Amino acid sequence: MTEKVCVLGAGSTKYGKLNESIIEIALSAAKDAIESAGITPKDIQAGYISNVFGVADKQVHMAPVIMSNLGISHVPGLTIESACGSGSVMFREAYANVAAGFYDCLLALGVEKVTHTGTAHSTTLFSYCSDFFYEGGNGASFPGLFASMARAYLTTHKATEEDLANVAVKNHENGVLNPKAHVRKKITVDDVMKSAVVASPLKLLDCCPFSDGASATILCSEEFAKKSGRPYVEVIGSGRGASPAAVQGREDITTIPSTVAAARQAYKMAGLSPKDIDFAEVHDCFTIAEIIDIEDLGFFPKGKAAHAVRDGATRLRGEIPINPSGGLKSKGHPIGATGVGQVVEVFDQFTGKAGERTVQNAEIALTHNFGATGASAAVHIFRKVDRK
Amino acid sequence: MMEKLSQQSGTREKFISAANRQKISVNKCVNCGHLMLETILYCEKCSGSKFEDVELEGKGTVVTYTIQAVAPEGFEDAGSYAWVVFKVENAQLRASGFLPGIHTPQELPIGTRVRVTGFDAKHGLMLSK
Repeated sequence: MTEKVCVLGAGSTKYGKLNESIIEIALSAAKDAIESAGITPKDIQAGYISNVFGVADKQVHMAPVIMSNLGISHVPGLTIESACGSGSVMFREAYANVAAGFYDCLLALGVEKVTHTGTAHSTTLFSYCSDFFYEGGNGASFPGLFASMARAYLTTHKATEEDLANVAVKNHENGVLNPKAHVRKKITVDDVMKSAVVASPLKLLDCCPFSDGASATILCSEEFAKKSGRPYVEVIGSGRGASPAAVQGREDITTIPSTVAAARQAYKMAGLSPKDIDFAEVHDCFTIAEIIDIEDLGFFPKGKAAHAVRDGATRLRGEIPINPSGGLKSKGHPIGATGVGQVVEVFDQFTGKAGERTVQNAEIALTHNFGATGASAAVHIFRKVDRK
Repeated sequence: MMEKLSQQSGTREKFISAANRQKISVNKCVNCGHLMLETILYCEKCSGSKFEDVELEGKGTVVTYTIQAVAPEGFEDAGSYAWVVFKVENAQLRASGFLPGIHTPQELPIGTRVRVTGFDAKHGLMLSK
């Protein structure tokens, strides 16, 4: 790797139930990112797109369609799928291509649209992201798979269902401050505990919503970013990891090996450790996921995250704010876009666009996003660039 | 609607056939002795590809599970059930399956013994207590 890679622009649609087609949603985010970067489509040399269920809105081979509708049909595109981790995995590939010097400027965009298929069918579609022969095909929904991880965690570490609920309460607290969040509503531990059981021990309010939405970033070389004269954020660490696709294949069900591996690589590349991170956007598809994530990322020792969340350490003004955007739980989870949306949050935080949810004095941020129950994962670390 | 799965063949067919005899079909690596489920083609430890076919008794103990209060498509008519990860008896190996008739966590403490009863085209690897 020779080139430093920067995020020069970023944009997102609102996450939620959207009426527009998947392509219109994608183009809306692309336009925001292009304008945010102060470039025009003619500056874009490649398009990297992440998406999982385009077929549900009658569109696959999405990259060329997006490029064509941006008026740059000659620009090569690539569509990448890695379940709920598609956005970060795609971002990694886009990052690597700029770092390798293949491109000076590209569009990295994630998009999803599933809510029009209804909750039951969306649940079925998501189950295809599992190791279906062993999991979905044996009756496990995605809430069910994470519920099995939650039961293992609660049994091993003596944490409680109320501890899980605290994650949801905190993320909704942050999401209320995010105008683009899907579910902008404060909730209490009592609300979570009294919500309907989906797959024990997880209840409805332990689960993120199904969302539509798109997020986009403009990635470029440092030279390109400097010439632009605009604010930008530098990518200083990037890591990828993998785990056995099925939960049954993991020696310890209370950790996600792909997260541990990706984080190790990203920290090493950045020359940093978990204590250097000022805030993180992590993959909280279910409350138990955030508990496991923040241990695997090294913010808390194994078995201690639930207590840290209870003590407020991960709140917006806590020692390590987690998911200031509201996370998947409140901001929403359009699965092809989620990993890119995390980068958009970092960009907004570091360029003064995060409003009331701004993490004070933050200079280093981490994003973490995984596919399925963590079969694939990517971690990125970013540095605020002071242009004064 | 849940689409139909393609017909299972090869390693999956072998796994299903063994399950219907209340067994778990595994590969034992000739090189290092590591045991893996039948569907894995190369040894996870040494990447060896020569295996001895072994059938283990379809018995084990519950490692973790969930009770699916909201059943996914295709399982709406299954009644209350658990999806279970279990440790296979006499092996460092885990498998997972469908355990009908479970309504509450009190009915299924961690460590409960379960056994394979067959493979159902609709519900997968069938278990009973």
